[in-house]
Amino acid sequence: MREQPLGDELLTCARDYLKSDVLPAVEGDRKHGVLMVMNAMAIAARQLRNGDRFELDELESMRLLVDAPHCGLLEGNRLLASLVRDGTYDPGRPGRDALLKHLWRITEQRVAESNPKARQD
Amino acid sequence: MKQFPEQAVAKFVQDATGARSITVSNVSLLSGGAIQENWAADFDIEGGDYHGRLECVVRRDSSASGVAISHGREQEFALLSRVYASGVTVPEPLWFCADASVSDTPFFIMRRIHGVASAHMIVKDLSYAPDRPALAEALGRELARIHSVMPPDRELEFLSRPSGEPALAKIAGLRYFLDHHHTPYPVLEWGLRWLERHAPVTERLALCHGDYRTGNYMVDEEGLTGILDWEFTGWGDPLEDIGWFCARCWRFGRPDLEAGGIGSREDFYRGYERESGQPIERSSVFYWEVMAHLNWAVIAIQQGERHCSGRERSLLLALTAHIVPELEWNILKMTETG
Repeated sequence: MREQPLGDELLTCARDYLKSDVLPAVEGDRKHGVLMVMNAMAIAARQLRNGDRFELDELESMRLLVDAPHCGLLEGNRLLASLVRDGTYDPGRPGRDALLKHLWRITEQRVAESNPKARQD
Repeated sequence: MKQFPEQAVAKFVQDATGARSITVSNVSLLSGGAIQENWAADFDIEGGDYHGRLECVVRRDSSASGVAISHGREQEFALLSRVYASGVTVPEPLWFCADASVSDTPFFIMRRIHGVASAHMIVKDLSYAPDRPALAEALGRELARIHSVMPPDRELEFLSRPSGEPALAKIAGLRYFLDHHHTPYPVLEWGLRWLERHAPVTERLALCHGDYRTGNYMVDEEGLTGILDWEFTGWGDPLEDIGWFCARCWRFGRPDLEAGGIGSREDFYRGYERESGQPIERSSVFYWEVMAHLNWAVIAIQQGERHCSGRERSLLLALTAHIVPELEWNILKMTETG
C-alpha cells in the first residue's frame, strides 16, 4: 500500500501553496513562470486522478469503430487516421455519426486533462 | 557570454553614413536565440547622412550556431526593405553587412522601435494603444499594404511559390508532418479532411506575413509602432493572414474581440478594405480560421516535441503541447456539421 496522501493530492496541495504564498510575492517574468509551474502541476494532478481510465475507454471505443478488436491504441489510431484521410467518414457515408461521437468523446477527455476551462465557452 | 564586435560595427556604420566620427553606446543583448541575436546599440554620429543620435537594433546570426547562414539575414533584410518601401510600419532597415572582417556572422541594422509586444499585456492593459478600434483598423491597413506586394517581384525572387493551390499545399505540408510523427492525431486528420473537401481556389497570390497576430506587433501608449517577426513570410493566399489574425486561438482570453483579442472584426476589415480598395469576402475567411487551428496545432505538437525529444528541455515548450486538445475541440466545433 502506498502512503497517503497520494501523488495527485500532493501536487494539488503543493500547487495551493504556490498560489497562496509564492504567487503574490513575485512579479513579471517570475510570475509568469510560477503560473506555468502551477498549470503543469494541475495537468499532472488531473492525469494521476484519472489513471488509465480515459485511455482504456478510448481503446475500447476505437476498436469498435475500426473493427479491430485486438489492436493497440497507437496502431488503431493510425488506422483510424488513415481511414479519415481517405474519406471513409465523409458526409453521407455510414459510420460518420459513430466516428464523430468517438472524436468528441476522446477530445472531451483530452481537454478535461489539459485545459478544462476550454469547455466552458 | 555572447560578444558583440561594437568597434568594428561602429566603423561599418561610419563608412555607410560618411560620418566624420562615430561613437557607440548602450550596447545590450535584447534577445538571443540559437539562430539569431538582437542587439540594441546607439550610435552618436558626427557629420554625414545621419548626423545625430541613431538608435538601432543589430540583428545577426548567432555566433554560437557556428554556421554562417548569410542568406537568412540577407533575405530578411530584403523583405523588410521591400515592405518598408510599400509603406508597412516596420523598423526601418538601414544596412546589411556580410563582411567577415567586420563580424564573423552576417548582420543587418535597423532603426529601433519602442513599445511592448507581449500579447497578454496588450490584450489586458488598455494604457497601450488605448483607442482599440483605431488599433484594429491600423492593423487591417498594415496587412493590406503587405498584401499589395505581389509576385513576381524582382527583390523577392528568393521566395518560393506554393506548389499548386495554396490551401492544398498547406494541407499537404501538415499531413507530411503527421505522417512522420510518432503519434497519430485522428481529430487533426478529421480537420484536414474537412479542409481538403472545402479547399478554395486562390484568386491571387500575395506576400503573406505568415504569422500576423497579436504578439507579433508592437504598440506604445499612442498606438501601433511596428509589425514584427517576418520569418514565415512568403507567397500565399492573402485570406490566410486574415484568418490567422481573427482565429479564435489567437484572442488571448478575449474570444469576444474577434480581431486578435484587441478589436472587432469589422474595424479590422474596414482598415483592410479602405487601404486595399477590395472587399473582404466575409464567408471565405472562416475556412482560413479552421486552417489556422490546424496549423497552430501542428506547430504546438512540434514545440512540445522539442521538449519531449530532449533537444530543448523547457516548461513553456512542454505546456504548449497541452494546447492541442483545446485546438482539437475548436476544430470539431467548427467542422462537425459540414
